[in-house]
Amino acid sequence: MATFAARDGGAALSFEGHEGSLLRQLVEEMSELLDEPVPTDPAVARLFPAAYEDPAEAAAFKELIGNELSSGKRADLDKVARALDGREAHDEEVVIPRDDLEAWLRALTDMRLALGTRLDVDEEKMSRELDPADASAGSMAVLHWLGWIQESLLEILTRRETT
Amino acid sequence: MRMETTVAPGRIEEIEGHDQTEPGRPWLVIVWNDPVNLMSYVTWVFQKLFGYSLEKATKLMLEVHHEGRSVVSSGAREKAELDCFRLHAHGLWATITKSD
Repeated sequence: MATFAARDGGAALSFEGHEGSLLRQLVEEMSELLDEPVPTDPAVARLFPAAYEDPAEAAAFKELIGNELSSGKRADLDKVARALDGREAHDEEVVIPRDDLEAWLRALTDMRLALGTRLDVDEEKMSRELDPADASAGSMAVLHWLGWIQESLLEILTRRETT
Repeated sequence: MRMETTVAPGRIEEIEGHDQTEPGRPWLVIVWNDPVNLMSYVTWVFQKLFGYSLEKATKLMLEVHHEGRSVVSSGAREKAELDCFRLHAHGLWATITKSD
């Protein structure tokens, strides 16, 4: 499993095995979702939620913000991609600059939301022990793994902010 | 002695009539529970976006978690919309509603 350390106000993340390439692949999938959002995709609905219950008001709000929400998510994701592409083949260390930590937290959130929504998770499914016989066990493991990375980076960030 | 009026009464009415913000009925920003977002992350977002103390942010996060929703900010419509947008940018499920 990956290890984490605070470094220069940011973080250094050392992946093991295929973790780095797995995350890179998830970034690519997220990138495709942002490039060509399918309106019927529940993950898209979750990432771009309606701000008002009233459909007309919700549409007006979407009109008002234009592509700002999407371009912000894109910018966050690009920072993650850049850091991942900077890792060397022989060493799986990823350096996250100080100013990019928050972007990582948001991008990890988006990836988890997309995955979790497509898996149709609820609180019970999130807390259940993984059953290898379950067809979604692999995806659930990825969802928890992303959460663990996020929690570790958040810990580094909040420790920095409180000291 | 008689007081001089500097602003005609009609003008005052005009200024007051312009103010349609209804301060008694603010717009509320509600965050809804979702099974995916981490409790620690949600708490951090409340602190970061609204400047809340750890205690207040934790209380709101627990409200969302246990009661399914919580009002996290309120005010003029423009403020509510900005707050809602920032919450969406952080992946939280937020909606805006007019207070009763």
